[in-house]
Amino acid sequence: MKRRVYLDHNATTPIRPEVLEAMLPYLRERYGNPNSPYWLGQESRAAVEKARAQVARLVNAKPSEIVFTSCGSESDVLAIAGAAQSAFERSRGAKRHIIASSIEHDAVRGILETLRRRGFSISILPVDEHGRVDPQSLRKAIQDDTALVSVMHANNEVGTVQPIRELAAVCRQEGVPFHTDAVQSAGKIPIDFRDIGADFLAISGHKINAPKGVGALVVREGAALSPVITGHQEKNRRGGTENVASIVALGKACELAQSELAAHAKQLSVLRKRLEEGCLKIPRSRLNGHPTERLPGTCHVSFEGVDGFQLVVALDLEGVCASSGPACSSGVSEPSHVLEAMGVERRWSTGSLRLSLGWGSTAEDVECLLEVLQGAVDRLRKVGVSI
Amino acid sequence: MIRIVVAMSGGVDSSVAAALVARAGYETIGVTLRLMPKLETGFGCCGSPKDIDDAKRVCETLGVPHYTLDLAELFESKVIRPFVDEYLRQRTPNPCVECNRSVKFGYLLALARAWGADAVATGHYARLKKGRLYRAADEEKDQSYFLYSLTPAELSKLLLPLGKLSKAEVRRIAHRLGLATADKEESQEICFVPRRDYRAFLRSRASNAAAYEPGEVRDGSGAPLGRHEGLANYTIGQRRGLRLGSFPQPMYVTGMDSGSNVLTVGPREQTFRGGLEACGVSWTVSDPPVAAFRARVRIRHRHAPAQARITPLADARARVDFDEPQRSITPGQAAVFYADDGELLGGGTIDKVIG
Repeated sequence: MKRRVYLDHNATTPIRPEVLEAMLPYLRERYGNPNSPYWLGQESRAAVEKARAQVARLVNAKPSEIVFTSCGSESDVLAIAGAAQSAFERSRGAKRHIIASSIEHDAVRGILETLRRRGFSISILPVDEHGRVDPQSLRKAIQDDTALVSVMHANNEVGTVQPIRELAAVCRQEGVPFHTDAVQSAGKIPIDFRDIGADFLAISGHKINAPKGVGALVVREGAALSPVITGHQEKNRRGGTENVASIVALGKACELAQSELAAHAKQLSVLRKRLEEGCLKIPRSRLNGHPTERLPGTCHVSFEGVDGFQLVVALDLEGVCASSGPACSSGVSEPSHVLEAMGVERRWSTGSLRLSLGWGSTAEDVECLLEVLQGAVDRLRKVGVSI
Repeated sequence: MIRIVVAMSGGVDSSVAAALVARAGYETIGVTLRLMPKLETGFGCCGSPKDIDDAKRVCETLGVPHYTLDLAELFESKVIRPFVDEYLRQRTPNPCVECNRSVKFGYLLALARAWGADAVATGHYARLKKGRLYRAADEEKDQSYFLYSLTPAELSKLLLPLGKLSKAEVRRIAHRLGLATADKEESQEICFVPRRDYRAFLRSRASNAAAYEPGEVRDGSGAPLGRHEGLANYTIGQRRGLRLGSFPQPMYVTGMDSGSNVLTVGPREQTFRGGLEACGVSWTVSDPPVAAFRARVRIRHRHAPAQARITPLADARARVDFDEPQRSITPGQAAVFYADDGELLGGGTIDKVIG
């Protein structure tokens, strides 16, 4: 088996052994439905509640504010569709305006498009060259009929972290609910839900070493939210029998992330520094995203005269997993909407490479990548981009 | 380990080509080209979502990696736009030749080399022996005609695993290996033209060109016979859709003149001409002939190669004089030269009809 270097932790992450251990009993003997009255059910219920507390602790929320979902996308959709629906109903149809940034994940863009077709109007906030939203532009965009604002905490492509407290503060002053997609930031940088002052915050399990198929939405106590999947579970906020094993895994992953957060972020920053230095030594290269306000493990670079997807294939054939954009849209050399919103010229955005570090990343991984990167870029530059 | 990139259209032929490469023990990499913008690929051009999905499934069955490569812009500039332009100047282009030249073997081969591949394999029916190109064993399926523009250097980096197989054998292999594409229908006609209606496609691309000006239809002696709907709607040898009323015998398009905007028609015997001049002549052999030589010349796909004398001229041109007049020699199509043993020697684009 050839070596594999995994540098795409923003796409997904390996399941940590401790997390797998924690969830296994709930795939085997502890199969009870947490809603059942007998002991087998009570065991499951206790496990779900323990996980709820673990997730709440990671983001400084109350356990009662955690709603388990099937993934980050569902969390985003629940927050946006649920809050919009609720505001619309409470205002007897008056509130039908939503504001979002121009660099949101497709999960958010998708539900916004759906709501637009259902009669909502959508305002898109610009970002600066580093991918940050100006709180003043948010203030100006808010209208009397604004039902919700959604701005992601950290961007999945370039890793830029938003001035999230300031953005939430504007919304609070204006009395508008605020949602943030924290799928990429949760467990990687400190998040204080209380301090941020958001109403909703989305989390995904598989980005922080839990399995795919579990997520959570943090819902501020008292925030108005109509369910998308109806049912009595999760205090009527999300129906469907709880995915107990995966919820346990998410809880464990949050606990681990929280206890190691500072040390881990520091370690990743060191690796990333070496990674960036190596990448930027290659002629006609540049770094994208905010120079400092950025996720510790995300490195997004561009090489002029190279097709990013072709570079990803070249690296894959050398045993290195990396990305030219979000995993959901790979295979198409269309410019990413994030880079476009940041005003990155096409000659740069075409040649994008996202390298993202995480749990298990080593200095050796970085060296392996750097060993093959220059050669791959040189060879592909001779081929040229196909336009 | 030898690394081979297989160009996979999502059809049965290239699926089996990939299977044969993989089973021969090479490190196999499946690549499907997306040649049309995402939203225009509903009808079966290379890289429609269904074709990409099929190619992926075949690679999953074979246990080899697969990548989809977006070359829509290259395809547009190198194949589609020239296709339209050629029609507008009264030629009948062969986009498959151009696609092979610029996209599949021009760009993809260079990219495959950059990916560390030793060669590119395709599902074309044609044979390679020691770097020389021959017609396929299955005469019915022979596709060597579309490969004439490859250079000796390109041929040395090409694998054609289907060259010795018949279509029936290819399907049998696909069935035996359980490939998802085993029963898939043949692709038809020009891949990027919806519903095989190239006239509608041209009109959608260039509706106000001069080639859409109606004009006169005349016979070989210059006598007016009626009106035509713009020269872009016709091709040499065309019989249907002329709307000339009744004649004692079927009438065919025998010529077009853009200067006078006249379409010339005539009975079948007038469609036969004695020779042609080709431009952009290239050679698949490393020692191209410099003096006149005898060979068989194929002037369109499925045309039975006809004996001729070929005279290489300056500026990558060549003159072809057939022993027997040939029907509907069409400017824009390829004239491809074969030796008697089936070796493909070279070819060019028909520029002028002579004799």
